[in-house]
Amino acid sequence: MSEIVQPSPIAVPLGAVRPLLLNWRRHVPLLLVAPLLIYMLVLYALPVLAMLLRSLNDPNWTLSHYAALFEDVVFAKTFWITFNTSITVTLGCLILGYPVALGLVRAKTMAPLILVIILLPFWTSVLVRSYAWMVLLGRHGLVNEGLIALGMIDRPIRILNTTLATQIAMIHILLPYMILPIANALRQIDPSLIRAASGLGATPFMTFRQVILPLSMSGVAAGTLLTFVLALGFYITPAMVGGPRDITLSMLIAQQVDQLNWAYAATLSAVLLATALAILAAARHLPGVGNAFKTSMR
Amino acid sequence: MGKNRSHLHLGRRTALGLVGAGLAAPFIRPSLAQQAWPEQTSIPDILKGSGEVRIAGYGGSMQEAQTKAYYESFEKLSGIKVRPFPDANGPKVKAMVETGNVEWDVAQLSRGSIMNLQKTGDYFEKIDYSIVDDGVGQEYRFEYGLEMLLWAQVLAYRTDAFKGAVPSGWADFWDTKKFPGDRAMFGTGGGGWPEMEMALMAAGVPADKLYPLDVDKALASYNKIKKDVVKWWETGAVPIQLLTDREVTMTTVWNGRMAALQAAGVPAAISWNQGLLKRDAWGIPKGAKNKVNAMKFVAFSTMAIPQARVALAIPYGSVNTKSDEYIPAARQEVLPSAPAIKKQLVTYNYDWWIDNREAVIPKFNKWLLS
Repeated sequence: MSEIVQPSPIAVPLGAVRPLLLNWRRHVPLLLVAPLLIYMLVLYALPVLAMLLRSLNDPNWTLSHYAALFEDVVFAKTFWITFNTSITVTLGCLILGYPVALGLVRAKTMAPLILVIILLPFWTSVLVRSYAWMVLLGRHGLVNEGLIALGMIDRPIRILNTTLATQIAMIHILLPYMILPIANALRQIDPSLIRAASGLGATPFMTFRQVILPLSMSGVAAGTLLTFVLALGFYITPAMVGGPRDITLSMLIAQQVDQLNWAYAATLSAVLLATALAILAAARHLPGVGNAFKTSMR
Repeated sequence: MGKNRSHLHLGRRTALGLVGAGLAAPFIRPSLAQQAWPEQTSIPDILKGSGEVRIAGYGGSMQEAQTKAYYESFEKLSGIKVRPFPDANGPKVKAMVETGNVEWDVAQLSRGSIMNLQKTGDYFEKIDYSIVDDGVGQEYRFEYGLEMLLWAQVLAYRTDAFKGAVPSGWADFWDTKKFPGDRAMFGTGGGGWPEMEMALMAAGVPADKLYPLDVDKALASYNKIKKDVVKWWETGAVPIQLLTDREVTMTTVWNGRMAALQAAGVPAAISWNQGLLKRDAWGIPKGAKNKVNAMKFVAFSTMAIPQARVALAIPYGSVNTKSDEYIPAARQEVLPSAPAIKKQLVTYNYDWWIDNREAVIPKFNKWLLS
């Protein structure tokens, strides 16, 4: 009895400091991320900013580096090549990735195995994979020898060192970034909806078209965004397996850093970063895409 | 330029060299076992000291060669400890000097990358020539660096591709009727500059009339071979890979890479005629902590015997005229510094490129993308 009436010894001081405590609690998430935040700020954000500043103050404060881009044919072409490649690769990933995501979600006992197969390339360096593609796509590589053996071609054709090779290798590297968000969205779909659809007489295709596809759009959006933005920054793969004219913006930036034209390199970097950020910002306002960020975080 | 010639480097380029790693081992030729090498037994007192010297090179088999050639003997004879670093390059020196955090005392660069930087600010210490060996040719000396390694950018071809015909010079490289097959050429990787000299020689410009380069004429000449060049390579492993995999029948290469290819049994050869004779140079970053030790090391490594030892370890030539007596005749056949080979090569004019690269590179980029 007395135990109930008697306030516990610590309850009193607790009650007294409650407002302060609540306040403190509200800031717990911030405190938890603070070490990483400071680390990123000092070792990443500040150096990046310092580099980007060179596009404005090298040798003195000026916008001329940006103004010059408007007449810069090399910039215009590399920008177009970069954009074009990213779109093609993203579409390729979507077409190849969606069915895989669907299979991954449907598979029961095989699911872990499929997941490992999807993730395996993640643990191999981009460089090693690019070399592997060089071996496969080469004039005397597996693909050409296979096509010859099948009688589809008489002589080896050039696949390596073409734009097609860049696209094939990039799709391979970026596929997991497309598959995983889509699989995630598909897994969120309530199975009873699918049962209800077929119960109401929908064919499997109609169920897919009218229930599964619309409900998975948040995953498609997340995967597409992720793949596209990552594709914008590619540079090893096109340099290694690409054609003689496959010069991406990142390759141009690397070239200009090596040539010590750091102001120009910084200007190009700023444009590339702004492009990626603008795409992310614009995409947030598209219907259904806002959820994508949430979905992919689950 | 020099930067990419490492046989193994870190980062992107490291791994580009990885394929070359297996190939790199035979660079240290077993037939030239170390006991047969000339040995430096003493040095002038002025080269002795204490403490350490931090030397940035390219890592990999180049560092292996340098360790055997002069790092070990310098440590023993001078009492100064050598700490090697991989991945030397000009942009890093720029960043180090600008932030006041100079981590290297000496860096293996080129006259091009050193003077390119020096033109825009004060990035390098002046070389103390009072302690440099007399045998080092005047042509290798400049105010802010000392050239210490000769190499060549040359034509290489598959010997099984042309029914016994032997290409010689850039007119043959350009002649895809007589010498059919795809080509690869150097582009602009690692701070290097495109091979406009080759294009001009293909168009008939004599080797001694190349500089100043006629850029428009070079691009017009490039036009004739553009569709046959399947790769504008950026790093030395790539042309070697392309030759090995029969992706091209002819390419430009860094000569040091070919020894490994041939040792691996690939039917390929160098044609030295009209190749470009290039040089690596030691540069001492401004504000280097051990700059006195660095000067001593620079002087030691360019003496006759250390230079000869490098040429025995890796097929690159010496800048010291007195080295030749320590290098067997058989070895001379693969060195760009050997008189019979050197006279076929064209001395690369770094100065012209330093003055003009800012205008030429955008022109080349534009041409490439058009």
